[in-house]
Amino acid sequence: MSVRQARLFAVLGFGSTHDALDAESALQGAGLEVLPIPAPKSIGALCGIALRLPPEQLHSARDCLAAEGISIAATSEIEDV
Amino acid sequence: MAATVDSPETRIYLDHGATSWPKPPGVIEAVANGLTVLAANPGRGAYRFALDTSRAIHSARRDVATFLGVADTHDLSFQPGCTQAMNLVLLGLLVPGDRVVACSMEHNAVARPLNALAARGVEVVVVDADEAGVVDADEVEAVVAAGRTRAVVCQHAGNVTGAIQPIPDLGDIAHANGALLLVDGAQAGGHLPVDLGRLGADAWACSGHKGLLGPQGVGVLYLAPTCEPAELVSGGTGGGSSEDPLQPLARPERYEAGTPNTPGILGLGASVRFLSEHAEELRSHEAVLVRQLHEGILDLDGFSVLGPSLGAPRVPIVSVVHDRISADRLAFALDRRYGVAARAGLHCAPWAHRTLGTVDAGALRFGLGYGNTPDDVGTVLNALRELVGELT
Repeated sequence: MSVRQARLFAVLGFGSTHDALDAESALQGAGLEVLPIPAPKSIGALCGIALRLPPEQLHSARDCLAAEGISIAATSEIEDV
Repeated sequence: MAATVDSPETRIYLDHGATSWPKPPGVIEAVANGLTVLAANPGRGAYRFALDTSRAIHSARRDVATFLGVADTHDLSFQPGCTQAMNLVLLGLLVPGDRVVACSMEHNAVARPLNALAARGVEVVVVDADEAGVVDADEVEAVVAAGRTRAVVCQHAGNVTGAIQPIPDLGDIAHANGALLLVDGAQAGGHLPVDLGRLGADAWACSGHKGLLGPQGVGVLYLAPTCEPAELVSGGTGGGSSEDPLQPLARPERYEAGTPNTPGILGLGASVRFLSEHAEELRSHEAVLVRQLHEGILDLDGFSVLGPSLGAPRVPIVSVVHDRISADRLAFALDRRYGVAARAGLHCAPWAHRTLGTVDAGALRFGLGYGNTPDDVGTVLNALRELVGELT
């Protein structure tokens, strides 16, 4: 059995699931590798949806969401496989 | 013609003012999808089944917002219906000491919460509509300006008369006097072009199951960014932090506590997508049927039509009274003998019937809509002619 290498991802948290879904749509439209994940405790929420993406795309994601008027409530990092 | 058994094949359904039937293509499938394929709890979990359900609701919200001219989908919440939405707006905004000006044609969805608020110390001033069921904007302006008014509340269109109220004028009047305009759009959605970005309403609510052609149990509420009623219901929202002791303020979740009616919302999304392509054609069709029915009834002995005169704008509701036959007798005979489903009584609108002078006996209401044909109207007119001959 091969061991998968953990990777570091940026995590974006939002004030509402509505915003998270708006953000997912906007980031996908911008061609970013965004994936919804259960919001981790590190972004301050206990339930709901957060978005993860490669850390090198974080800057582009911020620009994209700012252009769309979608506020990021919190950012964090997560290790995942 | 004898219709002793009620069946979808023979039924002539003329109660669209209460609930539209049948539903347009795609609605039943969308509701079923909400019970089978897109059936997880939306807005909470991040597993793919839940995400797909959340995205479907998100998409339905976007489609409804686009259809109604709402630029920001945060401002559009799904509600269990128009009644719940109007209760939210009225009970969430008005506090003892406030003054609210209302139209005398309001449905109980507005009248009853206003009566309850009056008992708690809100001053409720009612402006009488004219005999066509239309409120006069100048009269409203005088009443609004006579005191420090927090809100003006008015139906967009009447559920008894079909009359269309001067909503843009009322918006101007309310705003010029520092008040909000709150609109019950139950009879307007789908039947009238609605552009909430330009209408002037600070709050506008609509049933999903009437002119919007969706299922029962779902409605929509638009709240302008400046209109922030307190939520009626607190609870789980999925977003924000579950550790917050109070309801989060983020829209639309603030006004959508608890698990939503996913099948209903998906059904409404489908019906609105249908309307986005066919509403104009449907409205023209409804106008033809309304004129045919109105003209035909005026030719019959003893009938009068409530509301706007022949040819004046109205949504597809035609309520009638006969000078010798009660509305309930006519409605019963129409159903049992001719298969015509129409509604007699006060239509949950005693204020309106009091205004029109029909509160003691009520009226017989024909609500036309999707699926009705000129033949349906012809059958109703022939039936009424026969009944007048027999019952008088």
